[in-house]
Amino acid sequence: MSGAINPGGHLLSAAEVAAWRARMPAAFGPTGEARLWRWVGIAAFLAWLGGTLWWFDVSPQRMWNGLNGLGVIVRLMIPPSPGEQWVEILQGLAESLAMAFLGTAIAATIAIPLGFLGARNVATNMLFRFSLRRLFDGMRGVDQLIWALAYVRAVGLGPLAGVLAIATADIAVLAKLYAEAIENAEKKQAEGIAAAGGSPTLVMRFGILPQVAPIMLGHALYFFESNTRSATILGVVGAGGIGLQIAERIRVRHWDEVAFIIILMVITVMAIDWLSGKLRRRLIGGR
Amino acid sequence: MLEIEGLSRNFGAKQAVDNVSLRIPDGQMVGIIGRSGAGKSTLLRLINRLSEPSAGSIRFHGQEVSQLRGRKLRDWRMGCAMIFQQFNLVQRLDVLTNVLIGRLNHRRGALAHLASLFAQFTPAERAMALATLDRFDLLATALQRADTLSGGQQQRVAICRALLQQPRILLADEPIASLDPQNARVVMDALRQVNIQDGLTVLVNLHHLDTARAYCDRIVAMQSGRVMFDGRPDELTAERVAAIYGVSEAEFHGPEAERPAVIPMPAGALV
Repeated sequence: MSGAINPGGHLLSAAEVAAWRARMPAAFGPTGEARLWRWVGIAAFLAWLGGTLWWFDVSPQRMWNGLNGLGVIVRLMIPPSPGEQWVEILQGLAESLAMAFLGTAIAATIAIPLGFLGARNVATNMLFRFSLRRLFDGMRGVDQLIWALAYVRAVGLGPLAGVLAIATADIAVLAKLYAEAIENAEKKQAEGIAAAGGSPTLVMRFGILPQVAPIMLGHALYFFESNTRSATILGVVGAGGIGLQIAERIRVRHWDEVAFIIILMVITVMAIDWLSGKLRRRLIGGR
Repeated sequence: MLEIEGLSRNFGAKQAVDNVSLRIPDGQMVGIIGRSGAGKSTLLRLINRLSEPSAGSIRFHGQEVSQLRGRKLRDWRMGCAMIFQQFNLVQRLDVLTNVLIGRLNHRRGALAHLASLFAQFTPAERAMALATLDRFDLLATALQRADTLSGGQQQRVAICRALLQQPRILLADEPIASLDPQNARVVMDALRQVNIQDGLTVLVNLHHLDTARAYCDRIVAMQSGRVMFDGRPDELTAERVAAIYGVSEAEFHGPEAERPAVIPMPAGALV
């Protein structure tokens, strides 16, 4: 049975290779026009990159000077110091955290039904879905900071403006992400519910929601973490939180206190990341 | 000659493979049968070193392979190609690229490695892949994405990938368990063809005794990680099956017996 070992996948002669190339040119990489367009694409990208660098006057000289300036600031930050108002710092940090939590929770909750309505496999009416999706796009087009400025005028200075800004900006983003997750959900499982006589709503509840819930939770937890970071910016425009205190200290060049606040924020974000990781593993299970 | 000596692997308290010793001459087609959980998959994964043995040795032509590391380990894996139950193709890559993956470890040097990162293959490699696809009647699918193929086609693409590794051993882990009888036969025919025409040693895990009897030179029956029978197919009689597994042959197959079995074919009739 054994015979001479003659391993499979034989090496071919040059003539045979040429014959295969003639028989199936597409298998040997892009040919002619496709290759030309690829080079045109690469050239266009490089031109665009070079053009913007020239436009913004990005030069190694300026980068180097900028690094030196940054170095001076870093030196001023050492050693970090809590200053005299560290109770206020802690309060501000807690306020930022609470804003992020509340804003994300509101956004994540409202985004669930909106996500279902925006998903192609759930909302079959094209006109409705199209309008809803464009509405999401419009809301996404306006940044959290702009919302914050608007809410500060509308409801006054303080954390409420921040919470509303976070919620409004994130509803549309989360709804879009949820809708995409729902569109990628497996149809077979939903079919099982429908075949058992489930109504469309119950198909969503039992056929789709269990599939997408881990993804939704993952997104919401990540947004919570990300909003804790961005909540600091909101403080700068008066929408509550630690941001105002950072801005004030930068203005009077108390960089050591700024460094202290930054370290506290990094620790907070790491703690949230660690906790959300634990929570995710707990709720999602093995995989 | 592939020599397995006292090979064991335990997962916690469970003994998946328990003191298995086998000597397999070059060019033999060996069917390994047993129920789910009998240790068949673990045995093949130990040989390919996807799993690490808890004890025992694996030698090929005198070379100890159970201690290999790095480059030498990759060379060994290239030499004993693996076929999986779920095909394990990269679904989003085209068939040709999936087959060319079999060439990756043949390329030496940093430059070739860089070319691999950018999925650049030489015309000779491409022609080799096309010729192999043509051999298994898959040429028309070469530029399609792997996930557009049927299960039987995907498994044959996996065999092509394995052949481009130019291996000396083919390890097939339940290659037909996810296929319908017709496709199962095409895939088993392909394995037998590779065994006879290319002279490859083939170790194939199977659920069905009939398939093993029809295609293999030798049958190894496993239960609870141990080898309970090792011999020619005609020696594995219904009585022996009953003695090993304590059940009749029909019951041996368990719930899967409801699926139609592969129609037996005389082994010689394939070439």
